[in-house]
Amino acid sequence: MNAIDCLIIGGGPAGLATAIRLKQRLTQAGREAAVVVVEKAARLGYHALSGGVFETACLDELVPGWAQLDDPFVTEMVRIEQDDLYFLTEKHAHLVPRSLVPAAMHHTGDAAISLSRLAAWLGKLAEREGVEIYTGFAAERLLLDGGAVRGVKLVDLGRGRDGTPKKNFLAGEEIEARVTVLADGARGVLSRQFVEAFGGGENPQIYSLGIKQLIKLPAGHAFGGKRVIHTLGYPNRPDVFGGGFLYSMGHDHVALGLILGLDWKYADLNGQLELEIFKGHPFMADLLKGGQVVAAGAKTIPEGGYYALPTLTADGGVLVGDAAGFVNMEKIKGLHYAIRSGMCAGDAIADALAQGNASKVALAGYRARLEERGILSDMKHARNYRQSFKHGTMAGAPLSLLQSWLPFRLAMEQDHLATRADARLNRVKTGMDKPQFTSLSGAMHREDEPPHLRILDPAACVECANVYGSPCVHFCPGEVYRMKGTEMIVSHTNCLHDGSCQVKCPMQNILWTVPEGGEGPRFRAM
Amino acid sequence: MHAIVLVKQVPDVSNIPEEAWDREKGTLRRGVLDSVLNPLDLHALTLALDLRQAAPAAGSRVLCLTMGPPQAKAILFECLARGADEAVLMTDRAFGGADTWATAYALARGIRKIERELFRGEPYAIVAGMQSVDGDTAQVPAQVAEDLDLEHIAYAQALELTDGVVIRRIGPTGMETVRPLARPFLVTVTACTQPSYRSFHRSRASRRQALLEWNAQAIEADPQRIGLPGSRTQVFRIFSPSEEKHKSCRYFTDAAPLAAAVRERYLQGPAQAAAVQGRAYELDGKQASYHGDVWVYVEQAEGQINDVSLELLSEARKLAADLKVHVGAVLPGHNVGSLAPSLMAQGADVVYLADDPLLRHFRPIPYKKTVGELVVKYRPQIMLFGATPLGRELAPRVAYGSDAGLTADCTSLEIDDVERSGVTLTAILKQTRPALGGNIMATIMTKGSQTQMATVRPGVFKAAAPDLTRAGTVIRHAPALSEADIRTDILSIAPLPPRSGVAEAEIVVSGGRGLGARVRYERHLRGLAAAITGTLPGRVELGASRMAVEDGFIGHDHQVGQTGQTVQPRLYFAIGISGAVQHVSGMQNADIVVAINKDAHARIFNYADFGMVADLETALPALTEAFAAGRTT
Ligand SMILES: Cc1cc2nc3c(=O)[nH]c(=O)nc-3n(C[C@H](O)[C@H](O)[C@H](O)COP(=O)(O)OP(=O)(O)OC[C@H]3O[C@@H](n4cnc5c(N)ncnc54)[C@H](O)[C@@H]3O)c2cc1C
Ligand SMILES: Cc1cc2nc3c(=O)[nH]c(=O)nc-3n(C[C@H](O)[C@H](O)[C@H](O)COP(=O)(O)OP(=O)(O)OC[C@H]3O[C@@H](n4cnc5c(N)ncnc54)[C@H](O)[C@@H]3O)c2cc1C
Repeated sequence: MNAIDCLIIGGGPAGLATAIRLKQRLTQAGREAAVVVVEKAARLGYHALSGGVFETACLDELVPGWAQLDDPFVTEMVRIEQDDLYFLTEKHAHLVPRSLVPAAMHHTGDAAISLSRLAAWLGKLAEREGVEIYTGFAAERLLLDGGAVRGVKLVDLGRGRDGTPKKNFLAGEEIEARVTVLADGARGVLSRQFVEAFGGGENPQIYSLGIKQLIKLPAGHAFGGKRVIHTLGYPNRPDVFGGGFLYSMGHDHVALGLILGLDWKYADLNGQLELEIFKGHPFMADLLKGGQVVAAGAKTIPEGGYYALPTLTADGGVLVGDAAGFVNMEKIKGLHYAIRSGMCAGDAIADALAQGNASKVALAGYRARLEERGILSDMKHARNYRQSFKHGTMAGAPLSLLQSWLPFRLAMEQDHLATRADARLNRVKTGMDKPQFTSLSGAMHREDEPPHLRILDPAACVECANVYGSPCVHFCPGEVYRMKGTEMIVSHTNCLHDGSCQVKCPMQNILWTVPEGGEGPRFRAM
Repeated sequence: MHAIVLVKQVPDVSNIPEEAWDREKGTLRRGVLDSVLNPLDLHALTLALDLRQAAPAAGSRVLCLTMGPPQAKAILFECLARGADEAVLMTDRAFGGADTWATAYALARGIRKIERELFRGEPYAIVAGMQSVDGDTAQVPAQVAEDLDLEHIAYAQALELTDGVVIRRIGPTGMETVRPLARPFLVTVTACTQPSYRSFHRSRASRRQALLEWNAQAIEADPQRIGLPGSRTQVFRIFSPSEEKHKSCRYFTDAAPLAAAVRERYLQGPAQAAAVQGRAYELDGKQASYHGDVWVYVEQAEGQINDVSLELLSEARKLAADLKVHVGAVLPGHNVGSLAPSLMAQGADVVYLADDPLLRHFRPIPYKKTVGELVVKYRPQIMLFGATPLGRELAPRVAYGSDAGLTADCTSLEIDDVERSGVTLTAILKQTRPALGGNIMATIMTKGSQTQMATVRPGVFKAAAPDLTRAGTVIRHAPALSEADIRTDILSIAPLPPRSGVAEAEIVVSGGRGLGARVRYERHLRGLAAAITGTLPGRVELGASRMAVEDGFIGHDHQVGQTGQTVQPRLYFAIGISGAVQHVSGMQNADIVVAINKDAHARIFNYADFGMVADLETALPALTEAFAAGRTT
């Protein structure tokens, strides 16, 4: 079996950009080398969810001439022409004058895309370059060898609910490679192991949760085909960071979402319900009239910024994209960072392989290139920018309200510590329920496999129920968790792979392990 | 020994995105759907991997064969990753548009080539999934067996290799243990244990493995028998099944009138929803495009006529009246002559009786020979089979052998005139059936044959009351059979395990989280089930929502819904169940639905015919009593 030169875990934009760049460089140098991408979703894009405002300049470098390609992803791409920010009070919507909107939040000229489709398209390009892509294989463990990354071990397949191997049991295979790139996204299990082994940032990583629906509007709707709006305010309380968005997606579809800083204090906050309440706002309801929800999902976004960046390289190992925490918090944009960081990694790995050396030293070019391409400096700038805000001391509306929404959080503690036992929203249920929401994500797991969500200590759930009223029952958008008396019941089949339970469980009592490959949500256009 | 697995790439009907629907035309854009390996073929592959161990095991290979467009390579790579040794893709534009007939022909040519050139005369078997999710006809494997003149062992569930090859399969009268006596033989698999997983390293290796690619010429196919020209059926209309069933619920406040209303509806018999009643057709002296009678294959086991045959005789009478021809009933078996009068009472004018000791047990070869001889001799214009396990094995072979088109699982039949490319076809049979997992309906007509054949699901048509004054003639037929036609040894027939499954019950009493605790589930639901068992005919089973199962009220095999059982009972009780989409998808085809829930806004009421907004703690004892009281009246 021919050896793998570079193994990339995660077929999101970061992983695929790494693969494309590296393979381009190797081909230019006339080298035969195996570049392999392993993705846990059944297809590229099935686990990919983003808002969708995309700064496409990075593609010009990665795929020169991409805009001329005859592919529906390119030819149908929505270019944003109208870009508005609204502040919502309970009944009204106020357009924020453009002069008051920070430049970082101007999106005219960007594209509005579906990440599922971007990933599928990048996958096609990567295969054309000669990259090998294997979907439906999930990595569960980083293989370390005396301080060097040796490769990964895949998930065991075919265990019964109690863990005993069934007739078709296939022990998790080991995959070795000269360089292993972790592109497994926000809260990726392998990148977490990497960070544990090689060190995290000065600050802990913090996250937001995005809840999203794809809605088909009736023909002739008034929203327009090249428009994005962002909203602040309702339904969020002033002390909940976040905002809403509504983006044209082409073919009468719009992407609707709510992004919530996971450091909310309310023990009963349910993001899936918040989205329904948001949809019920007169302004939103009017825009969405006659719309039909065709897909739904959720995902976390790392927002710790510069000082939460972990060690980025090790002997034989590199972190890229959300796995490293490359998100611009001013803009809540990570797609272009994912692609750029992947290109930096691709270049650095090509250089290292050319030297026949994959050590940390040989990979040092990665950081240098991140600096060169401006990612680190941008993030540093945003960090300083954030410091200039003081949480809670807002001066003068509406700019202060704007600031309150922007997720430039000063809080440097982990999100789960923010939950307060006595803080409740006590919302009334409305709109779509969680089973419908989950159904629209296409999520599926083998019901008789060992639950991939492990409750570490059952007693802690009882304590949590008594103190906090089991926040996971509320915040999990897939309704995975449920207390029956003193027992925590985990419906792992519902899991949307959004990662919120990892971040928000106040007891840090839930361990998300990787389920069998090919399971989980099936996003086609999220 | 070697094995050839027939595999097919199919659209993923388990995840149909909204954009795949063309709402205006009511059809699915298949191009938008993802493609996957047909799920049953995965089971077939798993069985084949076991079969590879059968003597002679040394050097034995599993080879996967598919006919399809170049993209179908994807499933061959998947099969290799799951353990197959080799793969062949038969691809050619000329294969396009094939129905089961033309597909079976081409696959059979491919198998011959494998036998000659790859296996070089060494023993092998052919394994296939019983049906594919898109066509859902179960015809191709049976017709491949017919083309190659092989024994077909259908509905295989398990394989044993302790003493040669022994296969356990569901037969018409029980769980059969059979030993194939000749090589090669063809096995179709309906389910088996855990399918084999893809290995990463095998996946990688498979990409470097060369697939064999054969075109029509390579398999020496007759151009007139492949693709569109070789097809015996043609789809001429695709439409959407009736929209989602939102029922209008009749609410009750008291248990007694609710029980009475449920009982009355239930005893009325099934709503004739499935069969769209065809219009009567007027021949008006026109020259019909087909000639001959309307025939029904009579399925019997141990002297008992299967209900579906009676239903089909009634339908055949209507068709024959439209066409002004006679109704024939084909009755093979051993010592079955005494059944002829009841077939006449049910509508047969002529009973074709083939009585032979070799027809004592159903085996596909002697049966298809017998029926095929009759068809070729008398040439009916229409022949109907029940879409029972037996019918699905037999009809495809008879059709293939007698050069007739066959449409599986029809839900409506109608005689009509049809214009096709300027030619008017007079008084032909329009056959309508669900396809793509029930997501679309297709109306199909037979072409290029003298007989139009169809299988029809049990319960689609209603059997008329027998008319004991009707008379008819019996034509005896002596089939040309010999011991050589017996190619399996039926080692034993065990009674099928009692039909305990909730999936097959006529009445399902389901409870959800609203029951609160296992003891309450036990007390309330078992009580109600017992009371109903005494009053209404049909088998009663307990069901549950997933939450009820998770909470330990009852085992997972009683779970109804997306990840549990799909049930289609005559009567379904949803008690303390909220009606989540995943639950509803498993029970929405129940005929009569009764919901009891204390929440008047529970979604389950959207799917219920009868409802009661009440606390089950009081409502259920009252309802149980009301049903129990019905026992004496
Ligand atoms: C709601 C929301 C809105 C956003 N809006 C925007 C926006 O408008 N503009 C913008 O630029 N950015 C936006 N972002 C951020 C952007 O989506 C991310 O920064 C970007 O997707 C990161 O790419 P990635 O490749 O690093 O990770 P991901 O896209 O998360 O990809 C990681 C991949 O790795 C796979 N994987 C994970 N673990 C394993 C494993 N163990 N084995 C195998 N495979 C594994 C996953 O299945 C996944 O496919 C948004 C994010 C969210 C959640
Ligand atoms: C991938 C996936 C697969 C799934 N598969 C399935 C499946 O196969 N089958 C399935 O059922 N679910 C399935 N689910 C779960 C489904 O979403 C729901 O969670 C489940 O069906 C709810 O069960 P329930 O109706 O019993 O419970 P609940 O939703 O809690 O409803 C209980 C109901 O009982 C009523 N009630 C309570 N007390 C009383 C009383 N005293 N008297 C009268 N009424 C009362 C309440 O009003 C409520 O309507 C699946 C979910 C996912 C995500």
